[in-house]
Amino acid sequence: MSLASGVQIQDDCITAFQDFSRSHGKTKYIIYKIADDKKSVVVDSVGKDQDYEVFRNELADAKDSQGRVAPRYAVYDVEYELPGEGKRSKIIFISWVPSETPTLWSMIYASTREVLKNALNVVTSIHADDKSDIEWKTVLKEASGGKA
Amino acid sequence: MNPSNPPQAAEYGGDEVSAIVLDPGYSTTRAGFAGEDAPKSLIPTYYGKYNADGQEKLVFGDDVFVTPRPGLSIHNPIGKDGIVEDWDMAERVWEHSFTSRLTGTKAGNPFQNGLNDVSPDELPTEMEVESEEKPLSDSPLLMTEPGWNPAKAREKTIEIAMEKWDTPAFYLARSGVLAAFASGKASALVIDIGASNLSVTPIHDGMILKRGVQHSPLGGEYISSQIRAIFKANTPQPITITPHYLISSKSAVEAGQPAQAKYKTFPADKAPDASYRALLEERTLSEFKECVVQVWPGPTRLSAPSATGVSNEDMARTTPGRPFEFPDGYNQVFGVDRFRAVESLFDAKAAIPDPDSSFPPPTPAQTIPELVKASLAGVDVDLRPHLLANVVVTGGSSLLYGFTDRLNHELMQMFPGPRVRVTAPGNTSERRFGSWIGGSILASLGTFHQMWISKKEYEEHGPNIVEKRCK
Repeated sequence: MSLASGVQIQDDCITAFQDFSRSHGKTKYIIYKIADDKKSVVVDSVGKDQDYEVFRNELADAKDSQGRVAPRYAVYDVEYELPGEGKRSKIIFISWVPSETPTLWSMIYASTREVLKNALNVVTSIHADDKSDIEWKTVLKEASGGKA
Repeated sequence: MNPSNPPQAAEYGGDEVSAIVLDPGYSTTRAGFAGEDAPKSLIPTYYGKYNADGQEKLVFGDDVFVTPRPGLSIHNPIGKDGIVEDWDMAERVWEHSFTSRLTGTKAGNPFQNGLNDVSPDELPTEMEVESEEKPLSDSPLLMTEPGWNPAKAREKTIEIAMEKWDTPAFYLARSGVLAAFASGKASALVIDIGASNLSVTPIHDGMILKRGVQHSPLGGEYISSQIRAIFKANTPQPITITPHYLISSKSAVEAGQPAQAKYKTFPADKAPDASYRALLEERTLSEFKECVVQVWPGPTRLSAPSATGVSNEDMARTTPGRPFEFPDGYNQVFGVDRFRAVESLFDAKAAIPDPDSSFPPPTPAQTIPELVKASLAGVDVDLRPHLLANVVVTGGSSLLYGFTDRLNHELMQMFPGPRVRVTAPGNTSERRFGSWIGGSILASLGTFHQMWISKKEYEEHGPNIVEKRCK
């Protein structure tokens, strides 16, 4: 076991993820956060909007209870088309820890990331601390392994 | 409450006992309570030894700087590579770091401390035989270690914590992982410049990639040796550092003029050992690094011709110098030399030769660009771009003026393809105590209890449990 915060993953997180992966693209993303008591990861929101920018803005605008920028985790269903091979979709895990995040929360999010990623069993992931890190082309490239 | 029963420990303070975080470095040892922003106790890892009344005495903490006792010699239990060499003394120094300012000495039996009048017949008839008090019986302990700490040293560390200090719970965290986490990253390339080592540690998904860990001796003390070489060759005159304890008075002199100071002299049998003087000289050198030394900003090396045809070194000459006054009053403005002192961290050829130095001339493989290259060569090809996009800079010596800018330039030139991004905490204390702060946050989390190795588990599995649990 690698060094981790010990923050727990609530069952809701897993259930929401299962519904999401069974929805075949109807649900586009889930945003997760660590609860204010620093004890567990909970579902922050589930989105159905097909426009990637809606998701990107929601993630980048995440705030804590005092209205300051705040970190999040997310899973997004990336759909793309490969020439001659048709439509593909792949779920990507995103950790979002904007660079202004206080050290306390940076530490907690970084040390809980693997536990959540493994619990959801998502292999492909990116880390972002700036909005330019989560542009569609970056996410697409990572999800498609550089093919799309 | 029966007044003849000593109160339980919890009734003294009422507070929950918090964990102690111990971050032992080569030059300083940092200790403090988990949950605090900075380590309350910051002591030199160096300790002093002298003889008095035919007995060997030891000096710990800031006291080593204070009195130039006859024959006082300075030692360090940690080797130049950052790994403990003298375990008995490492234990003593570390113990001093928390007992001196955090845990204090244990309260004695109130019947015998002289503060309570107790008539002899009231004394408990059967005195319980107390087992020897150990310093951490009430506090869980989180310690940090370098990424290249060998398994034997890790086992020895938990053994000391459990058996000598009696800690109820223990964890040993890699300082590189803590520094990456403190920047919000579970994957990063951590560049750490400490007092004795310069290291590059690749971390992926919270785990150190051992094959990519690289380190070299080009740390703070090496930079000091380069400054000494500059002082020797200095014009208008060579500079010797005379520490404060050898000066009884000084008067102001013009820049570049010989010092006007009265010196203290010690007869041979009263003088401290040369290592004491060296330790105090190091303090002046630290000040010099903070006030004068500057990293050539790049983009090209100091020895390279710049785009206009004027050499970078000539360019550096035209920038305003920085003044520095030594303890004996000698003062001077330092021009291009202040860039030369650290150039060899990036360019081995730029090292200032000094046959008397304890550091052999650096090899190209020991410089930052080569260490990064070697580190990346040791990890999976697909991970390299992720690591370069998440370079984290930490360690006290990384505070050298201009360091991160130059690092950025060097990395971008070496890896023109992938995006390079260097992150460094802007705040001095986060850079100096990065791993301590990271450990402090983790150990203060209520949820962290599942990570601790408990005393019971240690007793059941032995010291090897640290290899299984602290990866």
